[in-house]
Amino acid sequence: MPREEDPQIEVSGGAVMVAMPGATPKEILNVIVKPLERRIREIKGVEHVYGTAMNNFGIVNVQYFIGEERESSNLKLYDKVMQNMDQLPKGTMPPLVKPFDIDIDIPILTAAFYQLPNAKIDTVKLYKTIRELQQEINALDNVSKTTLKGVKRPQFNLLVDIGKLAAYHISLGQVAHAIKSISTNAPMIDTENNTGKLVVFGVENAIDTIDDLKELIIAEYMGSPIYLKNIADVEYSYDIQNYQTALIDYQMGMSTEPEKIKKNEHRKREGKEELKKEVSFRPESEQITMTVSKLKGTNAVLIAEEAIEKIQEAKEELRHAGVGFIITRNYGVRADEAVNELVHHLEITIFIIMLILIPFLGLRESLVVTIAVSMILATTLFIAQLTGQTINRITLFAFLLSLGLIVDDAIIVIENIHRRLHLDIDKKSVDEIIVQATDEIGPSTNIATIAIILTMVPMAFVGGMMGQFMKPIPLNVPVGLAVSLFVAYVFAPYLARKFINFKKIKKEVLAHHAKAHEEKETNGEEKA
Amino acid sequence: MKFEQFLLRILESKRNRWIVIGLVLLALMGSVMMIPTKLVLAKMLPGKSANTFSIYIDTATNASIKEIREVAQCVVQELKKEPEVTDMETFLGQGAPLDYAGLVKGSAFKRFQNQAEIVVNLTDKKYRDEPSFMMVHRIRPRIQRTCGSLYPNTTIKFIEMPSGPPTLATIVVEVYAKDDKMLRKTAQRVAQILGETEGLVDIDIMLDDIYTTYMLSPNKEKIIRSGLSVDQVNKIIYLGFKGMPVAVKNTKDQQDQVPIFVRLNDDSRIVTGESKAALEKKLSALRLMNQRGMMVPLIEVVDIKKRSSSPTIFRKDLKNLAIITAECDMVSQVYPLLDAREKMLEMMQDEYNMSKVPGISTFMFDLNAVDKKTDEPVLIRWAGEMKVSLDTFRDLGGAFIAALILMFLLMVVYYKSFALSGIVLAGSFLSIIGVIVGHWITDKISLAFADVNFFLTATSLIGFISLMGISARGSLLLIDFSRSLMQDEGMEKNHAIARSTATRAKPILMTAVAIILGSLLLSTDPIFGGLGIALIFGSIAATLVALFFIPVLMSNAKAMDPHIEESLCHDDSEEEKKSGRICVLTDNIKEMLFPPKECNDDDNEPLRHQDLVTKFTDILKNLLRQIKESLQKWRKK
Repeated sequence: MPREEDPQIEVSGGAVMVAMPGATPKEILNVIVKPLERRIREIKGVEHVYGTAMNNFGIVNVQYFIGEERESSNLKLYDKVMQNMDQLPKGTMPPLVKPFDIDIDIPILTAAFYQLPNAKIDTVKLYKTIRELQQEINALDNVSKTTLKGVKRPQFNLLVDIGKLAAYHISLGQVAHAIKSISTNAPMIDTENNTGKLVVFGVENAIDTIDDLKELIIAEYMGSPIYLKNIADVEYSYDIQNYQTALIDYQMGMSTEPEKIKKNEHRKREGKEELKKEVSFRPESEQITMTVSKLKGTNAVLIAEEAIEKIQEAKEELRHAGVGFIITRNYGVRADEAVNELVHHLEITIFIIMLILIPFLGLRESLVVTIAVSMILATTLFIAQLTGQTINRITLFAFLLSLGLIVDDAIIVIENIHRRLHLDIDKKSVDEIIVQATDEIGPSTNIATIAIILTMVPMAFVGGMMGQFMKPIPLNVPVGLAVSLFVAYVFAPYLARKFINFKKIKKEVLAHHAKAHEEKETNGEEKA
Repeated sequence: MKFEQFLLRILESKRNRWIVIGLVLLALMGSVMMIPTKLVLAKMLPGKSANTFSIYIDTATNASIKEIREVAQCVVQELKKEPEVTDMETFLGQGAPLDYAGLVKGSAFKRFQNQAEIVVNLTDKKYRDEPSFMMVHRIRPRIQRTCGSLYPNTTIKFIEMPSGPPTLATIVVEVYAKDDKMLRKTAQRVAQILGETEGLVDIDIMLDDIYTTYMLSPNKEKIIRSGLSVDQVNKIIYLGFKGMPVAVKNTKDQQDQVPIFVRLNDDSRIVTGESKAALEKKLSALRLMNQRGMMVPLIEVVDIKKRSSSPTIFRKDLKNLAIITAECDMVSQVYPLLDAREKMLEMMQDEYNMSKVPGISTFMFDLNAVDKKTDEPVLIRWAGEMKVSLDTFRDLGGAFIAALILMFLLMVVYYKSFALSGIVLAGSFLSIIGVIVGHWITDKISLAFADVNFFLTATSLIGFISLMGISARGSLLLIDFSRSLMQDEGMEKNHAIARSTATRAKPILMTAVAIILGSLLLSTDPIFGGLGIALIFGSIAATLVALFFIPVLMSNAKAMDPHIEESLCHDDSEEEKKSGRICVLTDNIKEMLFPPKECNDDDNEPLRHQDLVTKFTDILKNLLRQIKESLQKWRKK
């Protein structure tokens, strides 16, 4: 079954952004936000509408009730905005509808790529290297989206010196115009030549390298041409206007042996209990974080593993290029740990229950209960898988919770068989006793189990985040209980028939009776 | 058997029975009183230790990226003193990769220069002594003191991984008012009170700061005369000071286009100082070319005016509001909230007429404030985790009541008696004693060993609801057994009850032990600990109740008495049952679906009223039979 740490909560909503250059927040509020809010309020299933009016643009965030289906919610929002396009005030740019799901997928894996100390690689080159890797990871199965954070994109920067502009009598507009006019991309032209063959030719973008830019003639001053390099610093680097930066600080050794550091092994000192107090950090450096999200209902553990494998494969290549990386988030491992821990708990619990039952019922009887419980859990898991649930913390808690409830049915049936056997084995056949014993507690067990199922069902109607979060409990516990009832009536008596040593019990009972009889007789004799 | 004798002693004496009932009621009262007296603290969901936490930094609205970088670096430097920190990722001007907390805290929407997030990764919690929430608790004041004071209006918030569904903040106060100034004033007042409340940290007002801006207003006459246009002026200023890509170049070997970006260089662009004169100086160097090819200095055609910024307007559900958020430092959110609310009622009395919102709803903590001078109404609403908790508790409470009703109906269908159904329900409800006392004990234990409070949480409530069913089973088996003992073997009522309780004690104990052991491992979990504790102590209580209290109730109930009439009219069918069929099970289901229509016991048979006609014919039949019998007797005589 697909593993996850937390169940996925379906949050649907979106944002509508409308820009109106030059408007103040008050204007935006009255002209854009208020009418838009009203329109959006008309959509069914909307819980809250958040309006934000800023300078130059307004945003209306829409939040649907939790559990509303995402696709149809997005469609409804888009539809509503498009229907009212005609009411848009003058001077606004077309509205941008951005459904949440673009931003809202929680990445299961993030890795920070940074420049290794004393390696020379610029941010642009770093970006190019990571971009290649991102392509590869995106191609993995069940990966829904990968993004890069802290990216510096390559860019030609022309930083104009205002003094020189003034000296050469050039305006900034002229510079922009000159660049715009020379860098155009045109499609190839195909035409026929005189022999009827196809000739293809095209106009190349005149700017190809940084030198082409530098040598660009902007204007003429006093008869001599003025090149771009004369009035501006021209460089090929990254997008300087983008202030979004990502930095990383990490302990020494995180790039080579992260496992050791995570386990605090590097701080151990020879012969001493206490850990070292000081650790050393590498100096801060810029980084690019790659995030990997998975498709809904897929196995976080596998996807994270595959993605890490891909990164590890590229490790040498990266190191060669002077790039190191740290896995900064791995929900796959967390999911695996959480699930394994809980499965372990389940096993321990079943084992303890078995041990506890031995003195009460005997080894074979307690074995029957244990087998019955395992059968119940397996069947419930199977049903959960059929209904397309993932296995996560909450599902497992539902199992742990139901464990205490489902052993009950089996225990009560087996206990009654056990009791009845000791009572009537000399009088009736074993089959008859087993059937009667199961039958005897039948009605009350039925009612009790139905009662527990009934108490669980209303929990499915708890709304909001919390309701969604704990949905696996009302989904799985009643199923487990129903299965347990079935197993307790069908398999438990059968298993009891197969496993319990009737001869021994019969012997014991007969011996007991004989003893009682003897005692009675001796008592009688004494009295006599 | 000893237990049987003991029970019989209780049952036989009226005084002893009352003592048991009294003790149970006392225990119930006592345990329920533990909640309002704060012996047991309630909370939505407890914290959990994680291997990571985040820090959100916000500086003043008009702060630049450089300032926030400084603050972030300060925070990082402080964190480097912590040996358990393995790595930190700082994201300036953007949110960190989305996580569960960021989902609702608007992390994905961060894009301004005054916002930053730091992700702090710690060593594996298995190899670390200090839980992450304790660490945050320890370093929070230090970092806020050293780094929060670098620039005014800086807030540094510590975001821990939520153990359950995430919320915007633990405590969220929404202030609704129409007037912007009023909103601002009230919000600041509320924030101040929250700040003074013990246990609350990371207080933040989500409102823009108001700062000075400079407006360049184009002088129309001058612009037209010099042959320029306002549009041109706008564009050139933007291009010069902010810069923009004017063209792009496609590349063959790269996935992106390469933009060509034009801007003034730093020497010509960066304004020295914050004064109007400095701005004027920079602008004067910028010249525009008019239609005639003449250069016109920009400063000639515009006037510079000083103005305060217009802050962003926030709205929720079509109303203007301001949001104040706060986090709880290792305490339940309920008590600081109530404290702060009391304080607000008291301290804001000088400017406002304060009143509580009447009625009981999930908004029941809201306050109405009316300004004394302007008569303007302001609504102070508590949202955040409190609202989610109240909603959840309300829904769970609803689920609980629904479960109670459903169970009661089921019992009534089964027993055809209100009294017996009541006994079963009472038995299951009383496990609440165990649940509450259990939380109190665990709280004390956890305080003694780990110095952490153990709260009554939503999961405890889930545990309690599921317990009801479990303890119902014990009572059910008891009642069924005693009834069959009385009917089949003709035992006396109290003897039958004592005997059946003694017989059923073993399976009841066994199932209880199974549940307790099953939940033992559950109770160490941060989230589902409450559920574990509820199950463990609840089933202890349920067992005690089933073994002592239920027998007493049964003995008191008239419905337990064997029905003479019933045995009369059951006569023929009883015979059939014994001889022919062994499967009571299928019969039972049959009976449940098609309740037998005969028998008229006068005490309690609510469901059978449904069929008055059959009842009437039954009575007639009975009468006829009796007449026949008496006739026969008379003849014999």
